Amino acid sequence: MTVTPELLAAYADGQLEGADKARIEAAIAADPALASQVARHRRLRKALAAHYAPVAEEPVPDRLAALLKPSGGAESHAEVISFAGARAKRGLLPAIRRWAPVAGPALAASLVLAIWQPWQGGLPEGYADPALAGVLDTRLAATQPADADLRILLSFQRQGGDLCRAWRGAEAGGIACRDGVGWRIERQFALEGATSGDYRQAGSEADIMSAAQDMAVSGALDAEGEERAKAKGWQN
Amino acid sequence: MAKAFEQAVLDLLPRLRRFACGLAGSAADGDDLCQMTIERALVRRDQWQPGTRLDSWMYWIMRNIFIDEMRAARRRSETFVDEEAGLGVGSVGGQEARVELALVDRAMRQLPTDQREAVLLVMVEGYSYKEAAEIIGCPVGTLNSRLVRGRDALLGLLEDAS
Repeated sequence: MTVTPELLAAYADGQLEGADKARIEAAIAADPALASQVARHRRLRKALAAHYAPVAEEPVPDRLAALLKPSGGAESHAEVISFAGARAKRGLLPAIRRWAPVAGPALAASLVLAIWQPWQGGLPEGYADPALAGVLDTRLAATQPADADLRILLSFQRQGGDLCRAWRGAEAGGIACRDGVGWRIERQFALEGATSGDYRQAGSEADIMSAAQDMAVSGALDAEGEERAKAKGWQN
Repeated sequence: MAKAFEQAVLDLLPRLRRFACGLAGSAADGDDLCQMTIERALVRRDQWQPGTRLDSWMYWIMRNIFIDEMRAARRRSETFVDEEAGLGVGSVGGQEARVELALVDRAMRQLPTDQREAVLLVMVEGYSYKEAAEIIGCPVGTLNSRLVRGRDALLGLLEDAS
């Protein structure tokens, strides 16, 4: 019989049983080359296991364990997520950095009022009202005031090419995508609990971000990308 | 119940870190991947069915996040891992050990992601082919052949170097 590399690996990994196993054992007994391949496979397995073992043996970093522990005696069942710990330590994974909302520089506290666009009145059900649409049309994640009442979390492109933006206010947030009519609300979230210190109640922004990540075809737009998209009226 | 979930994830953390470290290529990037995984698992905890294996579910979330991030990175022609940073994983012995550790890390990084995850799940995490295939979401035969290709590439890289 021919012994494929796949069968031999499966044998070396202890995945074969019964007749299959017996056949391979017979073949190995008859062919020292096969036996040495099994030995190479097992040596590699051992070397890899030994190489990565120390990671599983060392203590788990606090910043990871903290994600799973209730915050100092608070009786809230909401899990607490620390965004700050990781950033303080070394910055986030490039991937997370792309997703992190572009934090605006601490501009002078100015409350940017939503621009009223009367021609957007009378929109069909399911579209952002003029106040929200104004924010979505004009506000850039990179330059928005730190204390804006409605904050843009990020902008991204979804399958099909529509541009979408995730936002949050004090009590609600969501994701809207621009089509020919206006900003169609795709997702809405009621947010509970306020931001306090560096800890945010889970079930807030994390939900929105995760929904956005699921919808997006690639990462979030960077500041330049947002600027370009805005210049084109968020349409392709 | 809620507490049991968090405790169970906490118990899995050492193993999750090991897998993350192998996937992402360094301990630091692995811990970031771990953080994303924990955050997503907490948000989606309702989707985990008690009675099914939590470890498989967590590994599944982690590899999905990693694959998504790799895709996004490739589209932006960025590399996920900074080649200069974080070479070397785990404890470090003498100079010789250090060189050898870096060697395995480098070899692993050269594997395509599908081969790397197959190698890690079976040869490091000790999953059966069937369990690993379920985590990845591919047929067992596919897992088996990815494993062989990954193994052969690793053997080539490591044996040449030594």
